[in-house]
Amino acid sequence: MSALPRPSTIFLAAITTLVAVLLYSPLFVPIVSSFFTVSHGDVDWSSPTFATYVALAENHDILAALRTTLIVGVCTVILSVVSGTLLALYYHGRRAGRSTLQFIIFLPFLMPPIISGLALLIFFREIGLERSLLTVVIGHTVFVLAIVYRTVLMRLQSMSRTLVEASYDLGATGWQTFWRIILPNLSSAMVGGAILAFALSFDETMITILVTGTQSTLPVRLWAMMRLGFSPDINALVALILMFTVLLCVLAARFLIPKQMATQRN
Amino acid sequence: MSSAGSVRPAENRLSQLVTVLAFALPVVFVLVPLAIFLGYSFFSVDQGTIVHDLSLGNYIRFFTDPVFPRVFWNTIVLCLSVAAICILLAYPAAYFLTTLKGRWRYALLMLLLVPLLMSYVIKIYAIRSILGLNGFLNKALVAVGILQEPSTLFVFNMNAILLTLTLLLIPFAILPIFLSLERIPQVLLRASDDLGASGLQTFLRITLPLSLPGVASAASFVFVLAIGDFLTPQMVGGISGFTFGRILYSQFGTAYNWPFGAALSVALAIVVIAAILVGERFGRSRGTSI
Repeated sequence: MSALPRPSTIFLAAITTLVAVLLYSPLFVPIVSSFFTVSHGDVDWSSPTFATYVALAENHDILAALRTTLIVGVCTVILSVVSGTLLALYYHGRRAGRSTLQFIIFLPFLMPPIISGLALLIFFREIGLERSLLTVVIGHTVFVLAIVYRTVLMRLQSMSRTLVEASYDLGATGWQTFWRIILPNLSSAMVGGAILAFALSFDETMITILVTGTQSTLPVRLWAMMRLGFSPDINALVALILMFTVLLCVLAARFLIPKQMATQRN
Repeated sequence: MSSAGSVRPAENRLSQLVTVLAFALPVVFVLVPLAIFLGYSFFSVDQGTIVHDLSLGNYIRFFTDPVFPRVFWNTIVLCLSVAAICILLAYPAAYFLTTLKGRWRYALLMLLLVPLLMSYVIKIYAIRSILGLNGFLNKALVAVGILQEPSTLFVFNMNAILLTLTLLLIPFAILPIFLSLERIPQVLLRASDDLGASGLQTFLRITLPLSLPGVASAASFVFVLAIGDFLTPQMVGGISGFTFGRILYSQFGTAYNWPFGAALSVALAIVVIAAILVGERFGRSRGTSI
């Protein structure tokens, strides 16, 4: 953009600051509350404390929900990365039926989660599958598959065809080419896709509420607790999750932003 | 892999398996559930059990009931307002980002997008505590002297839903607008400047029209996400903040009328598909789509 006159720059900077404040205030409040006592909207700055963190370590409900979330996340990542990569390899360079199937894969991601969740709920009931962690994992996988598929497919499309041809010319079999050429080239896209899938699964609430059985993931547990109001140790949890999320962000960016772009930027 | 010249039998069998999976996975886990779901919308409920007889009863009930069309319409208006406010806030912010140089531009963009990854439920809870009667917003407004005493204007009503959804969804508006602004060729702006246009003229005649596809995508994103949400209205809406998502959700819980809930979902899906198509249509024009 061309250089702007000063008043409009100040106006734009002010709006941007306002947006940043709006976006970060809901994150800031629980973090501050995790170190200080807050009652009726007043922060007591005089007594910083780690008490909420200690209380968190003894909250078995929350820890169990956290463990469930991690189990679901890991299973979702494995399933979605394996099937997403297979689908990307299969559809890549193939015309027949590709756009239709691609559209179907993207449907659960585009549709409101309440529709995807309810459709799965009725489907599980019709095929007689009890609601359990398995149904949650299936729900999450169906939801995040589009992201992994797209990440891997984009890498495949930017990969030079000559690499594969060279491998065959040098006498490699299909398997050897796959393990030594294609997979290593895709690996960073797969890792990036896996991180995104995990992050989405970690926070997925609406589908989970609908398809879960007796075990609830962390967001669902928090949602249920919210009706009564949180205990202070939840603020500690929020602070920890925020740090974890930022870490995931940085990792995903590292794997997904092409190397040339990263060096260019520095 | 099947494009390899000579494949051995084992590989051949594998590639057949992959073919079957590639078609079966999306069909079984996406298409079949949606089809069954659509089918359910034509069923009915009799004394707590689902009757598998096809009828248009649910749809007739939806259109003739005094409550549902009104809530449906109010929800659409609410979500359009959310989209409009998000764009009014996101456009200047995205524009400001594009005026920055080099790494600052992307660092700030990341900063505005990170809140997206933060737990949705926790943000709703925190926003509720900010908007509440004893919340930070009321405290601040009273302290500044705008309000005499804490107001119930922002808690457990439609305003609360509007504000919360806006706060949650702004980043979804920033990204597409930023991408479309960034894609505008610099030469056009310089040419406009050379030809004697003022900064405002350049913005109104070059930048704004060329960024409209991004605005259209942003609006459609935000609208779709807002209308599909039932967590936010449930948490901050109270009794007076009744949205379509909440009614839909209640059909599967307390009301236990799955077929009617499915019919309501079909209505929701039609609006969502329309919004996505409109976003695509205008987002694609002028060749600057995402």
